[in-house]
Amino acid sequence: MNPMTLESYLVVGAILFALGAVGFITRRNMIIMFLSVEMMLQGVALNLVAFARYRGNLGGQVFTLFILTVAACEAAVALALILMLYRRKKSLDVSLWQELREPGQEPIIDQEPLPPAPPPAPLPHLTPAGPEPARKEAETSHV
Amino acid sequence: MTSFAVILAQAGRWQRFVQDYWLILLPVALAFVAVYWLLPQARGARPLWGALVGAAALIAGSIILVHSQAIWVETLLFYIFAGLAVVGGVFLITQRNPVHAALSFAMVVLATCGLFLLQAAPFLMAATIIVYAGAIVVTFLFVIMLAQQAGLSNADAHSREPFLASVAGFVLLSALVCVLHKSYDATRWNAFLDKVARASQGQSMSEISAALGDPKTFIDDFGQFVEGDRILPTDPPTHAGMDRNALADALQDLEMLVWAKTPEPQAVAKKLEQIHELGRRVRYYQGSLQPSAKLKLSQQSGTPPNADFPAGAAERWLPAQNVAGLGKSLLGDHLLAVELAAVLLLVAPIGAIAIAGRRAEDMR
Repeated sequence: MNPMTLESYLVVGAILFALGAVGFITRRNMIIMFLSVEMMLQGVALNLVAFARYRGNLGGQVFTLFILTVAACEAAVALALILMLYRRKKSLDVSLWQELREPGQEPIIDQEPLPPAPPPAPLPHLTPAGPEPARKEAETSHV
Repeated sequence: MTSFAVILAQAGRWQRFVQDYWLILLPVALAFVAVYWLLPQARGARPLWGALVGAAALIAGSIILVHSQAIWVETLLFYIFAGLAVVGGVFLITQRNPVHAALSFAMVVLATCGLFLLQAAPFLMAATIIVYAGAIVVTFLFVIMLAQQAGLSNADAHSREPFLASVAGFVLLSALVCVLHKSYDATRWNAFLDKVARASQGQSMSEISAALGDPKTFIDDFGQFVEGDRILPTDPPTHAGMDRNALADALQDLEMLVWAKTPEPQAVAKKLEQIHELGRRVRYYQGSLQPSAKLKLSQQSGTPPNADFPAGAAERWLPAQNVAGLGKSLLGDHLLAVELAAVLLLVAPIGAIAIAGRRAEDMR
């Protein structure tokens, strides 16, 4: 006998799915959005495996194997797209791609953006020990 | 305005809905508050309070939403893995640092693999760990390569519309949980069947009556419960419908036996045993849509979809022959899908290389 009821597993799957949905809607980092989608897939896989156990039938487990396949392909394509988008804007923020929105929509602007990062601390200068060797003009130009 | 009036007209139904389901909606509401407070945002984020409310929601959910029929090692393992998965999921969507988010995702995947193992899917557990280990390592590389160059950014520190997003997600969750509870809650079934099982052990009429409580009200209650159960009707005939009708007939027979002038304990006990067997089968169909018995589906993936189950068959069968059954099913029932998956696996890396292989300078 299985001491855990089917409902318990389905509830865990539903929770993972809903959390992934919240993360996908609200987070702005493209990598975290991608991870949220993967978590939604995990919730669905859990559902399918639970039903496979419930029915005594391997159909659900086979579906989960196909989910794994599609998830691997999706990861490859999604990370390639993220890399390309990053190369264009030098940032993972999806808000930078707002020009793709529907015509007539107002752009979303951060109400309270973070303060600009302080300039990096200057690197210490080492005083040369001993006499400096004489250089040619061509070498000094790119120091 | 008209839609508002429609909602007001339905106020009674809303009230009844809340009365029926408030206990189930309580942990969901707590989790909503917790996730809203934990999400990174400019103002309104209260991580400490969020963590406390989240712990309360987790405990309430594990008491109210999760039903266990016995305290076994499996129950304990279920609580551990399910708790790890849910906590990891919350960490994943609330961490500001993408590295921590990727680590939390690893925790979610490992915990889910534990749940797979509990559900007699050892091959899937191994395959998931292998596939996602690669995926997580690659994601890590991406995070370190892309996200860690400039410290905390606006994208990580401010979610977009955290309140509305949490409302959307948790309305979805409460709908799912309510439907699951409505369809799969077997608490009353178990109570009835336990009583029947105890009564069928009785030697004399007084023992049987004591086990059933008042036999007359018990039979009436059970009969009404069986009639009111959401199971497909008998037309077209299905296994579920036929079993349900047989159970109702057996209950009527039991009533006749109990109210005979000189009730015979052996006959009553035998009828109770039959009712227990039928009830166990009908409970099995609870919340499941049965395909027609005439439908011929595959024999490859274990038991056919509309077979009758002897007690415990699935539990014995599934873990022992998992890999062999999966192989048969994949290459027997789903051969075309396997070929399509192979094509997909070939095409996706080509597409990924075509997209990512271009240099930024070429695209301008």
